Amino acid sequence: MYKSVSLSVLFHVVFVIATIVSLPFVKKEPITAQQLIAIDIIQISEKTQLPFAPKAREIIEKIKKEKEKRVVTKQAPPKITPKEKPKAIPLPDKLKIKSEEEKKKQNPEEIKELNRQSSEFEKKELFDPNKISALIDKSKEETAEIQKKQSLELTQNQDSSVDLNKGITLSQEDAIKAQIYKCWNIPLGLPFDQNLLVRIRLTLRPNGSITSSEILDHARMNQPGQGFYKVLAESALRAVKLCDPLKMPTTGYEKWKDLQLNFDAKEMLKG
Amino acid sequence: MLIKSLKNTFLVIALGILISACSTTATKKSAGGSDVYTGTDTVKYLATGVADRVFFGTNSKNLTSAAKATLDKQAAYIKSSKISVVIEGHADERGTREYNLALGERRANAVSDYLMSKGIAKSSIKVISYGKERPASKESSALAWSQNRRSVTVKSK
Amino acid sequence: MKKFYLTFFSILFFTQASFALVKIDITRGNLEPLPAAISKFYMEDPSKFSAELKALKLEEKIPELISNNLKRSGLFHIIDPKSYIQSPNIAHVKPTFQDWALIKAQIMVSGKLVIDSKKRLRVEFRLWDVIAGKEIEGLALFATPSSWRRISHIISDKIYERMTGELGYFDTRIIYVAETGSKTQRVKRLAIMDQDGANNKYLTLGNELVLTPRFNPTAQMITYMSYFKNLPRVYLLNIETGMQEVVGDFPGMTFAPRFSPDGKKIIMSFAKDGNSDIYSMDIATRVVEQLTSHPSIDTSPSYSSDGKYITFNSDRSGAQQIYVMRSDGSNAKRISFGEGLYGTPVWSPRGDLIAFTKIYKGSFYIGVMRSDGSGERLLTQNYYQEAPSWSPNGRVLIFYRETKSGKSGIGGSSSLWSIDLTGYNERKIKTLTDASDPAWSGLLSK
Repeated sequence: MYKSVSLSVLFHVVFVIATIVSLPFVKKEPITAQQLIAIDIIQISEKTQLPFAPKAREIIEKIKKEKEKRVVTKQAPPKITPKEKPKAIPLPDKLKIKSEEEKKKQNPEEIKELNRQSSEFEKKELFDPNKISALIDKSKEETAEIQKKQSLELTQNQDSSVDLNKGITLSQEDAIKAQIYKCWNIPLGLPFDQNLLVRIRLTLRPNGSITSSEILDHARMNQPGQGFYKVLAESALRAVKLCDPLKMPTTGYEKWKDLQLNFDAKEMLKG
Repeated sequence: MLIKSLKNTFLVIALGILISACSTTATKKSAGGSDVYTGTDTVKYLATGVADRVFFGTNSKNLTSAAKATLDKQAAYIKSSKISVVIEGHADERGTREYNLALGERRANAVSDYLMSKGIAKSSIKVISYGKERPASKESSALAWSQNRRSVTVKSK
Repeated sequence: MKKFYLTFFSILFFTQASFALVKIDITRGNLEPLPAAISKFYMEDPSKFSAELKALKLEEKIPELISNNLKRSGLFHIIDPKSYIQSPNIAHVKPTFQDWALIKAQIMVSGKLVIDSKKRLRVEFRLWDVIAGKEIEGLALFATPSSWRRISHIISDKIYERMTGELGYFDTRIIYVAETGSKTQRVKRLAIMDQDGANNKYLTLGNELVLTPRFNPTAQMITYMSYFKNLPRVYLLNIETGMQEVVGDFPGMTFAPRFSPDGKKIIMSFAKDGNSDIYSMDIATRVVEQLTSHPSIDTSPSYSSDGKYITFNSDRSGAQQIYVMRSDGSNAKRISFGEGLYGTPVWSPRGDLIAFTKIYKGSFYIGVMRSDGSGERLLTQNYYQEAPSWSPNGRVLIFYRETKSGKSGIGGSSSLWSIDLTGYNERKIKTLTDASDPAWSGLLSK
């Protein structure tokens, strides 16, 4: 046994020496000293304070708004279609867990940004219904119905008295969501392939405090085999209670005094 | 430039061959499996020149030509001394416990069948499997595992 | 142009809504363990308690055990008792929920110990929803100085069940093989302990090798394999009497035993002439049935929770794979098709999954798959680990690991581990000695 070990060692040493000596990538070119380049440090702020022409300023602000709009609409979750059952239980291997943790870490940052934005928008609404109705009022000639036609002309045919955006703006909705997300402690033991939707109806006072909360599928809670539903519903109720009073928009009380929160744990539990 | 790259590829190939030749220490490629132990460490003797055990490849029950040679000597010895034997089947630790019990039994029976084919009476052979419970070598290494994949012939009391 | 697209899609989205009611989808929350406060229990009228009973300090010990159980499940975060404001006696009658909400608890457990008129110790507990401000569970149990651990486990199960919707697993025991000695001359004894490691007892002396013990789900009985008198056979052991008896009269090695879900049959492998097949034996009638008949190794059988199917390990395809057949032995189908070798299949008591060991590229994995083989998920990887066993609620797997040993066997040791079905909460289970081959009992209180 020792003979073969020493032979092996010898051959390995030979190989190592040979690689060092002969293979090209081992050779390195001598490092040449880099030329020093003189840099002048200029304060950028001085430059940007330059007075723009009024029209130019308008264009710049428009571009800024559109950028912000894009950020907001990315967050919008118009998931009206029912969620599909996952076909296979996905792999929770270490890599995936890490990326989820990273995602979770990222989420709170995004939410923070939205909160900041929502306070700004009390002054200047990003998605202002008045501005849109102003656009629409310009062309009242066509009167085709909205539900049937699905083309760009629709935007110009709307009756300006109908509320276009369900009572609150996207950013206001996101602000409410962000609060509830923080308060909702999802029970970890739930099965991931069941219907995990709990709908709670709330009535609010103008200051955002909750006067009543009601679980819509209340009867389901006590059905046999639906023990997990009861657990989920209770967790949603706790979330609502913990978040009471909610930070609601200062205007439009009539629009949001009745809220329905659809708690759906499927996304989080699917892993 | 071309000559240089040719020289380098030749060197790499040559060294590659050198290294692969280093990988075999005491195991050899053979008909039964690619990692059958062929050394003499852990081997005991029933009588002078009669080794008491044969070795197997991973998950295998095949008898190598070396194993058969050993078993021929065992058969001759058993016949001449008229003893009864117990054949123990063992497995290495790199498998599930229950399957290893079955594998040990399979190996012991492979040896028993061979001995019977050499004229040993069934009544003088008993078979027992120890799975991975009684390793011959305590280490956790490829060498130790190959030494543990064995079937041992023991004089019965 | 972009502005038009934006308004168009927003209008399409918003036309769905009703006029006054605003609906918001909440699809995110935090997946953190539920913050819970377990208050010290309150001893009513301490003068009625005997000195021995007082010395046990059950008012501290019981909540301590409950806290440890809930913490170990990974689903609860127990808030440090040092921060609790309210005293135990008031907490049990009419808690000031703000005090508990202040320390961020969402649920609170309070309890009371009473000696009743018949001199019996009664243990009461109450589970409070701190946020909703109401009691959501309560129970009274009679205890003796020796049964207080079980009382704590039963209370833990009740809390677990109320908060997760699933049965608990704290009032259970674990049987395993306690190992000592050098690697080539290992001494193995059957040992049994509470699921939290307490009350460890040895059931055999260690004079012969014992392997793979399993619980009878309906009786105080164990089946295991022993090398008694150098004959490897499956045995039955009565936990209460300590009596052991060999199962059947097989002319060869029997091994890998398990009970059927109704506790009436034992299923196992029988090896003869180099071939291992699966057999079952009715414990009462002693009638033996051969279930597989194939020249390959068929072993590690496990019944489905309804007793209609059996999953087992076979190398009939040329390598170790997992199969499922009907409990009469018919219609055997292979269900494992991934890369590597598969072994030790065990059916979940919930009936939905089969746990297994996988060997691939020199590593050992514990994983689960559906009973048709789909949805394979690997939970943990290690140098060496195998033989998962399910908790009675089908949520947690217990298994064992061995470490590499260097020269002269130094460093090689075996230990018990548990992991949650989601792959989280991997934990080492403390045992007095090295340990292997663990099996989980059913819930002791049914």
